[in-house]
Amino acid sequence: MKHVKMPNDKKYWKSLSEYQDEGASRPMKENEFIDGATEEFGLSNLSPISRKKFIALLSASTAFAMAGCSNYKDRGEIVPYSKKPENVTPGVANYYASTCNGCSQSCGILIKTREGRPIKVDGNPDHPINRGKICAKGQAGILNLYDPYRLRAPQYGTASGRLEDLSWQIADAEVIKKLEESVKSGKEIAIVAHSIYSPTTKKVLDDFSAKYPTTKIYTYDILNDENRKHAWSKSYGTTNLPVIEWEKAKVILALEADFLGTDGMTVEQTRKYADGRDIMKSKEFNRLYSVEGTMSLTGANADYRLCLSPDAQLEFVLVLIDEISKKIGIINALPLSGSLKSFMNKYLLDENIINHLIEDLLKNHGQSIVYAGNILSEEIHVAVNYLNEILGNAKLYHPNQTLTSLVTLTEPKEFENLVGKMRSGNVGVVIHFDTNPVYHFPIDFGYEQAMKFVPLIVSLVETDNETSRLSNFVLPINHAFESWGDYQIRTGIYSFQQPVIAPLYNTRQKESILLTWISGKDSYKDTIYHEYLMNRWQKELFPSLDRKVDFKSFWYSSLHDGVVEYDRAAKNNYSFNKGSLSSIALMQSTSGFTVALTESYFMGDGRFTNNGWLQELPHPVSKIVWDNYAAISPKSAKDLNIENNDLVEIKISDRKAMLPIFLQPGQADNLISIALGYGRRNAGPIGTDVGVNGNLLLSKESIAASRILQGAVIRKVEGKHELVSTQEHHSLDDEFVKDLHHKRKIIQEGTLGKYEKNPNFLHEEKHELFNIAKTVEYNGVKWAMAIDLNKCTGCNVCVAGCNVENNIPVVGKEQVGKGREMQWIRIDRYYSGTNENPSLSHQPMLCQHCDNAPCENVCPVVATNHSPDGLNQMVYNRCVGTKYCSNNCPYKVRRFNFFNWRDNLADGYYEEEPISLSHNPEVTIRSRGVMEKCTFCIQRIMEARQHATEQGKVLVGTDVKTACEEACPASAIIFGDMNDPGSEISKYRKHELGYHVLEEVNAKPNVTYLARLRNVNEEKTA
Amino acid sequence: MKKSLLDYTLRIRLPIVLFVAVAVSVITYFVSRAERDGVGYAPVQPIAFSHKLHAGTMRIDCKYCHTGVTSSPNAMVPPASTCMNCHSVARKNKPEIIKLTKFYQDSTAIPWKRVHKVPDYAYFNHSAHVNKGIDCANCHGKVENMDVVQQVSEFTMAACLNCHRNATTQLTNVLNIKNGPTNCSACHR
Repeated sequence: MKHVKMPNDKKYWKSLSEYQDEGASRPMKENEFIDGATEEFGLSNLSPISRKKFIALLSASTAFAMAGCSNYKDRGEIVPYSKKPENVTPGVANYYASTCNGCSQSCGILIKTREGRPIKVDGNPDHPINRGKICAKGQAGILNLYDPYRLRAPQYGTASGRLEDLSWQIADAEVIKKLEESVKSGKEIAIVAHSIYSPTTKKVLDDFSAKYPTTKIYTYDILNDENRKHAWSKSYGTTNLPVIEWEKAKVILALEADFLGTDGMTVEQTRKYADGRDIMKSKEFNRLYSVEGTMSLTGANADYRLCLSPDAQLEFVLVLIDEISKKIGIINALPLSGSLKSFMNKYLLDENIINHLIEDLLKNHGQSIVYAGNILSEEIHVAVNYLNEILGNAKLYHPNQTLTSLVTLTEPKEFENLVGKMRSGNVGVVIHFDTNPVYHFPIDFGYEQAMKFVPLIVSLVETDNETSRLSNFVLPINHAFESWGDYQIRTGIYSFQQPVIAPLYNTRQKESILLTWISGKDSYKDTIYHEYLMNRWQKELFPSLDRKVDFKSFWYSSLHDGVVEYDRAAKNNYSFNKGSLSSIALMQSTSGFTVALTESYFMGDGRFTNNGWLQELPHPVSKIVWDNYAAISPKSAKDLNIENNDLVEIKISDRKAMLPIFLQPGQADNLISIALGYGRRNAGPIGTDVGVNGNLLLSKESIAASRILQGAVIRKVEGKHELVSTQEHHSLDDEFVKDLHHKRKIIQEGTLGKYEKNPNFLHEEKHELFNIAKTVEYNGVKWAMAIDLNKCTGCNVCVAGCNVENNIPVVGKEQVGKGREMQWIRIDRYYSGTNENPSLSHQPMLCQHCDNAPCENVCPVVATNHSPDGLNQMVYNRCVGTKYCSNNCPYKVRRFNFFNWRDNLADGYYEEEPISLSHNPEVTIRSRGVMEKCTFCIQRIMEARQHATEQGKVLVGTDVKTACEEACPASAIIFGDMNDPGSEISKYRKHELGYHVLEEVNAKPNVTYLARLRNVNEEKTA
Repeated sequence: MKKSLLDYTLRIRLPIVLFVAVAVSVITYFVSRAERDGVGYAPVQPIAFSHKLHAGTMRIDCKYCHTGVTSSPNAMVPPASTCMNCHSVARKNKPEIIKLTKFYQDSTAIPWKRVHKVPDYAYFNHSAHVNKGIDCANCHGKVENMDVVQQVSEFTMAACLNCHRNATTQLTNVLNIKNGPTNCSACHR
């Protein structure tokens, strides 16, 4: 019978198969149980245990369980020290100065330890370069120390690829035997290292080469500033780059340079840049121009941003030089393809901005800086050096301090030779000195294949990686917090590294391993490198410093301070060599896409991929977490007919990579930007297979040259990969939602000119506010925060600092996708303007600790309420998890524990030991089902209160620094007692630029934002 | 009207049963209160250390051993090395001191049984209290009279708040004492 469809005969179906083939599923519908479900029933199949017996067993087991219960009064044990170390008091933190080695900048750090375990890292305030601040990687790097995935013992790789634990003695003996054999047979011993910033490590390597004369040391860094160095040496005859005095720059022109995010000493640069935008000090701001293709943090902060593909940068610099030369009357001999006018027309650049730029550069002779990004080619850097020269900007190079470099990176050609030698069997031993070339090297090298021809491969690594998996010996090394060291990145400053915890596992410091191989197999002792370091200082470096104290006093005071300063060398002479300009030639523009392989903000060169805190820090611009992507301009995407999350294949000659697409407003057309440091194949449970390895696109040459690759072909492929971000953005075209953040006065901005004319411009129209609750008087200390949006760059370091201080859990990509990230402070990013030329605003958002807090009124169990010092308190043990508070919070800063996050992520990775050691013992680990949020670091307030009581003093606002305030490299966050009329915070609260977000709600927030003033030109000229 | 069984059950039996049940619960609750709060808890310690002898007879100050009490949230149970300041010479041949010396020489910690405890979600701070002039005995009782230390006060939130709200009547021995904070974050964070 044919089934006739009637209008009201709705057909319901439970599965697609049912829908498609009714006939087959009909018998199933007729039977109550599916086939086979009732067949087995029969007395013989029943359990042999009768009901009586079952109950008897049940009660017996209950009785046993009860008997097994310990005394309910028992409170466990208190385990004191047997012999207490001096200066350690349980419950009181100790601080030690050391040096971070997360990247090439070697910042001075101050490590907070509790009962001997590091729990927090901040910058060393005595360090002259980073002055008490460090980046997000440094903040979160503590998780690398406690990574359960760290190697715990030396391992030997067998033929089947399986690794077996072995003792150090066997490993040492075996390696030394092979080293000696190699020397005897004249085979090369290759040490593959990263750049070296420690003079004593360099000495160890030199000693090693002396002992084993066939040794050759290779150094590489995927993220390097070689182009800058080469250009500088061409222009000025030295590879020692200058120290730029950013704080003196009135005008900064950044060319594809993210000097606030990734290029160079970002912590110092951020501080100095922000220092030039301090409304409390001066109404004169520096002016930042950014010309870039990739939308970077620097571009997001620029007063003027021009969107220009990196291909055209050289041309841009040349026309700029030409124009400026004309204006100051010098002859320009550099090649040109056309005039400034034709260039602007070709790339659709705003003529007004360029005119302002040229005018500003000329007006601020000797007070501006043009800074090209690490990613750009050597030629551009030479041209920029020249541009700075004719603008008289050499005045901003520090007169008697320079950067230092201990080693120069190995040329790509030499790596090719190495691979050739490995293949031909001329290399006896390869030692990977804390490096991962299999992941980093361009596949053109064929390094991975060549490794098979080497008789012995040794990897000195902290965690297993792509390279160590293919090694014969995998020797685990100490984390930086377990190590000794000295570092130098600038003349005049040495920075010391000292261990703050004994090695957690059976590991050794990498220098100690080499020293053992130098002096024989049984020579190892725990202090081998410590003594070596101290001896070297005593004999070589200490005498040269010419101090009036004995070595011991010098040594201990230097370790205490973490840094040694000495008189710098004679005055630097910056005489520009015009001959360097002859190498500049305009390139023919190529067809196809250009790929820019940028440095990722938080992954480093891939060494931080297994750090969940860093994976979950949102990208400062796109806000995407747990992924990298191919950023493309909306226009190019339209041309290619691709959308967000579409997978594309990017092909450059025969190298290819497959990535998801992200439409980035402000991205130059025909340019794809990909962050490096992702796509690790073997990085532990957190970092493995997160994102895509951009190194796959590198060519042999690009390892030490520009990371901008031309002639890429983009092809859409089947499938999608969902990118997850913590903040979507509105359509920039839709009139209704456009600029909603301005309309609702979440972001209030002005220009310097407007402010000078009318300082009170923000508060022209005031709401009349009503309040039905009775006003509470706050008589004592009342805590408040101010955030200066002029200084805030949106770098996310505060988020990282808060994560560590407050035991914030990592929730994973899937949960972030559901909006369940747990960070107590977030940086909101708003776009306005057009897709082609957006303007960005950043705003750190955290609990506002409102006086009339809307969350408090709706809590049915009063788990959130107000303290007499103005804090919005959150009591976890009272919370029942209704989430009403979060629902009623206008700022959306409350975070709910939908799961026990530590158990929920990556099969309980965060419950594995020893991660619990990283927790701050002064902050509760929140469990599933409770709400949490920023507490204004109540534990720090209570600690300050304790110290005030001890000293018989009254607590004052400046005694407390919140974790975010302490971390902020720009010092944009100010915390203190608003009831103290002389305090910094009360000045900020009264400032004309201060405003509260969503003032009309009348929640009376205790966080004041200082409106950002853009330092743009037209206001003044108009 | 004839009294039915149901009537009897509802009018007489049920109220009695209910009354007895409630009375038993209430009485048990109050009588066992102190017990449940741990008052009188005096565990056997791994070494029979007598506070009565050391703090009472010999009048050694509490802070000689519990050094953290003025500078840290934790009063600190002393390390064995503190004991050995005296006992490396004093009473060396007594069995308990031999035990102590062994712990010290082996560098193993002495597993003292914990007597007083506030829950993990309450952050008590010894330093803040002692530096305000509050005496150890205000919470811990007369430890100098105890051979085996036992808990004498309740360590409950009600007990904390009792002093924080009525400092002048509860802590008569402390001069110029003011009420303590009673907001949540004072203890919970």
